[in-house]
Amino acid sequence: MTHMLDKIVTLWPEVALLVGACVCLAVGLSPRAGTRLLCAWVAGLSLVAAGGLLAFGVGQADQGLAAAAGTGMTGFVKAAIVGVGLLLLLVAASVPSELERDAPGGLVDGDGKFDPGSVMRGEFFAFFLFSLAGAMLCAGANDLVWLFLALELTSLPTYVLVATSRDRADAQESAVKYFFLGAMAAAVFLYGFTLIYGSTGLTNFDAIRAYVAAFADSGEPLAPLLRTGLILAILGVSFKIAAVPMHFYAADVYQGAATPVTAMLAFVPKTAGFVSLILLLSLVQPAGAEATRAVTWLLCLMAALTMTVGNVLGLLQHNVKRVLAYSSIAHSGYILVGLVGFTEAGSTALGNGTAAVLFYLVAYGLATVGAFAVLGCIGSRGDEAQTYDDLAGLGRRHPVLGAAMLISVLSLLGLPPMIGFIGKIYLFGSAIDRGYTLLVIIAVLNSAVSAVYYLRIAAACYFRDPAAETVSLAVPWRRAGAVLAAISALVLGVAGGRLVDAAHVATAGQAQAVAHVSSVAP
Amino acid sequence: MPSIPAADPFSHYAPIGVLLLMAAAFGLGNLLLTSIIGPSRHGKIKGMVYESGMNPIGSAKRRFNVRFYIVAMSFLVFDVEIVFLYPWAITFPSLAPDSELAPWFLGRMLFFVLTTLIAYAYAWRKGVFRYD
Repeated sequence: MTHMLDKIVTLWPEVALLVGACVCLAVGLSPRAGTRLLCAWVAGLSLVAAGGLLAFGVGQADQGLAAAAGTGMTGFVKAAIVGVGLLLLLVAASVPSELERDAPGGLVDGDGKFDPGSVMRGEFFAFFLFSLAGAMLCAGANDLVWLFLALELTSLPTYVLVATSRDRADAQESAVKYFFLGAMAAAVFLYGFTLIYGSTGLTNFDAIRAYVAAFADSGEPLAPLLRTGLILAILGVSFKIAAVPMHFYAADVYQGAATPVTAMLAFVPKTAGFVSLILLLSLVQPAGAEATRAVTWLLCLMAALTMTVGNVLGLLQHNVKRVLAYSSIAHSGYILVGLVGFTEAGSTALGNGTAAVLFYLVAYGLATVGAFAVLGCIGSRGDEAQTYDDLAGLGRRHPVLGAAMLISVLSLLGLPPMIGFIGKIYLFGSAIDRGYTLLVIIAVLNSAVSAVYYLRIAAACYFRDPAAETVSLAVPWRRAGAVLAAISALVLGVAGGRLVDAAHVATAGQAQAVAHVSSVAP
Repeated sequence: MPSIPAADPFSHYAPIGVLLLMAAAFGLGNLLLTSIIGPSRHGKIKGMVYESGMNPIGSAKRRFNVRFYIVAMSFLVFDVEIVFLYPWAITFPSLAPDSELAPWFLGRMLFFVLTTLIAYAYAWRKGVFRYD
């Protein structure tokens, strides 16, 4: 039973979030409006509590990512999720108030009393916390069943958040699309999981790695059933990260959701997806490069197609939310480049693809949250700002917001000294180190193409006359979130070396982990 | 640890093939069998929406009040949660009387019941059970 105890001990940060979510549900149904307003604070407190637990070393177990890719990695990813989660909370905190303001009948029933059925505040923050907890659980997963449940815990709340975030038919439409396609993707990766289980008879990751290592030692090729299962699982998870072939939903869903919720969609499920991808790839890592050639080819193809499709379609959009959605797809392609050589553990920071992926997730998260947050701070014609025209003259009207948007898009583009630059250096450097030069050339060309739409956003902010019908919304917290995200993208870009070192230390145990697995294999 | 012979790679895909065949055969077979074996007698009464009860009023393809769905969903949730209690209740008495596992078994189930209670209180407050 100590086995079970060991697991629970590693999960206190997630437990803090789940408790916070339950309290949010209760507080959100209070008849007093002032009490209901406490929901955001409860959510913030539970995030801070989770962060505190992580800072004191609770929850940084040597399972999940730590066992798959290096000591400390589980803690690193959980900390990143909590950190960006706090930013996302700042950005999204006023969404329920906006909904309540727009509610047609107010929050009262026929008798003029408070109607609990009409208020969404508690649910909003509870689902927000559930989704973050799911992403954190992914990082600690050491079992196929655990990973599946954690992925679903990440996704299911986001469907509800999309549907309820705006009082418009668009939001419902995108939520229904997101839900059904998400269910299909879940079926695909669940089928992959069953094939992995079917070919090994195991669900525990350590046991599967030992099994694969034993297979490799005996000189036999990777069981085709296992390979099929892995490929299906990768294809299913590609929905979470919005990569080809499961990328098609992203633009519609990102456009339909309220902008702060879109910021969350762009980071949380994607992080959970990449974490799962690293975990899944680590299962066959002991088999070596030769036996996993099919998987490597699949990853190369997915990376090249994803960034090309994302960037080319991004060029054709007029709606900035859709542009950022396609930019999010393209970034999945860039991040996949860091995973192509997963069988070889790098010796240098540049050569360590997993560390680069980890770092880039943070870089991408900060910049994309910043861009969406700025977009959420301005309104146009009684709706959210969505087009290039709505952004026109932002830099002159609101210098701070304009600067935040500029930093965010330049970071997404990968210009120094922003964090995105360092992220891309490490990402592409690791791939060159492993000999995937052609893929890196494609990635760099894609980055150049993406400059067109990123600079178009920047140009709209700075070189066009302010649009008359654009107004800035009274959302101080969101503005603070946008500015904080942009400052982090800049500061961490300048002082990024330390963060990269952290990511590198986090994955330094990779080689030892592989050696360890080989030695315990029967 | 189960071992799979790697002599013939093609044979590894046999389980997937068998599964696909079974799935297709099950679906198509049922469709075929119903059309072949099933008696088909049509009539006015037979074609009615609800054969044996009240006379149907209007079409069934209309919008229902959303509360029917909410009640159905909350029933499903609590029903499934009750089902989880059964395997636990079967296993728990078979533990040794002073087993150190017992508090954990009980604690986990109590936690599960607690989450169910929270869900119940939430649904109650939300007005799911109010039917006026």
